Amino acid sequence: MKTKTEAKRLAILKGAADVFREVGFERASMSEIRARIGGSKATLYNYFPSKEKLFFEVMYHAKERELASITHTLNPDADDLKEELLHFGQRLLAALYSPEAIAIRRLAIAESRHSNIGKIVFEGATLPIEKQVAEFLRKGMKGGALRTADPKIAAMQLLSLLESELLQRVLLGVVSSVKPEALNSAARRAVETFLSGYGRR
Amino acid sequence: MSKSDSKRQAILENAYRLFRAQGFDGTSMAHITSEVGGSKATLYSHFPSKEELFVECMMAALENYMSGTLQHLDASRTDLRLALLNFGSSVLNFVCSPEQLEVRRLIIAEAARSGTGKLFFDKISTLRAHVSAFLSACMASGTLRADDSNLAADHLGALLEAEILEPLLLHVRDVSPEAEEIALAVKRAVAAFLRAYAPAGRQRRPNVWRVPPPVEKESHSGGDQVCVGT
Repeated sequence: MKTKTEAKRLAILKGAADVFREVGFERASMSEIRARIGGSKATLYNYFPSKEKLFFEVMYHAKERELASITHTLNPDADDLKEELLHFGQRLLAALYSPEAIAIRRLAIAESRHSNIGKIVFEGATLPIEKQVAEFLRKGMKGGALRTADPKIAAMQLLSLLESELLQRVLLGVVSSVKPEALNSAARRAVETFLSGYGRR
Repeated sequence: MSKSDSKRQAILENAYRLFRAQGFDGTSMAHITSEVGGSKATLYSHFPSKEELFVECMMAALENYMSGTLQHLDASRTDLRLALLNFGSSVLNFVCSPEQLEVRRLIIAEAARSGTGKLFFDKISTLRAHVSAFLSACMASGTLRADDSNLAADHLGALLEAEILEPLLLHVRDVSPEAEEIALAVKRAVAAFLRAYAPAGRQRRPNVWRVPPPVEKESHSGGDQVCVGT
């Protein structure tokens, strides 16, 4: 078997990304990806043992960067805490409910017993988001806009509320995509509920 | 149990075991037949497709659980906080059990295929409808502020799962939580929910939630039925 090269690996990733984008994760096949990049099926499998692993490699890192950029926009010095949370919630949901992000998430859950994908997603995406949101809320509590509570718990509750209306529907494939207006109004209702619980009155 | 019922039960039990051990793709109707005994025709007379059999056996545990857990809402109608605490503990104990986590992973893995996800979602919606009806009664009596009760049910469910579910589902954490950890998570979730859905003007007194007695029973005469705590 030939030695693996970085150039070949990148070529496979690029070809696979195109196929995934065009036909989606479910309908993409290793044969089609091989046809796109040329070479033998054995070579392809030598680099990536399964469609799942390949998909994860192609899609996950871009998504992780996207999520990080959204969380970093949370500004604790913003004048209007509600507006800030609302904006964050809407951007977060838009990123989480893109077809690729849904496929990644489903894969992470489905494969968590047999691979480390679940761990990668949890440590690379879930935890950093939680941490940033908790930090934002901690400052809000300190500044008096929010009542004092455990910011980590509050962050987990806010994130869970944001997904409360959509997560099951999407993971169970009841809807394949969510319209931006639906995402925005779900985010608004979640933020309002969160602030009725944590806002100062 | 009739002969046909016991056959059906044997099919469900064997299929459940095989699906959990080998996944949906790794399990064939032929294999299930050989485990149960009898003919493939008999198997198909009970379950017309592998998809339907999968949904049926994955749902069996949820069905049993639902009838039990919903009683918590009805049984503690005189004290909303207590009702939600009992209900919440029951929900989390169920969804955090290793068996249910594995079932959920399987369901999500299969959801995009063959419409099985929709069947599960319908089942979950039945549970939500019960919770929503309960919350709606609390809103009507003024124990909770008036709002969309379906939304309130979604928010309650999300708050209950907020601290615990994801690391388990992603297998970052292997050991299911002990009763104490669940109790603490439920307490915080219910506190957040009751604050968020408190009737106007009562947000500062989170310990006074009382549900009026069920309408079919004789009601107390006089006094404030909604708010009798301290």
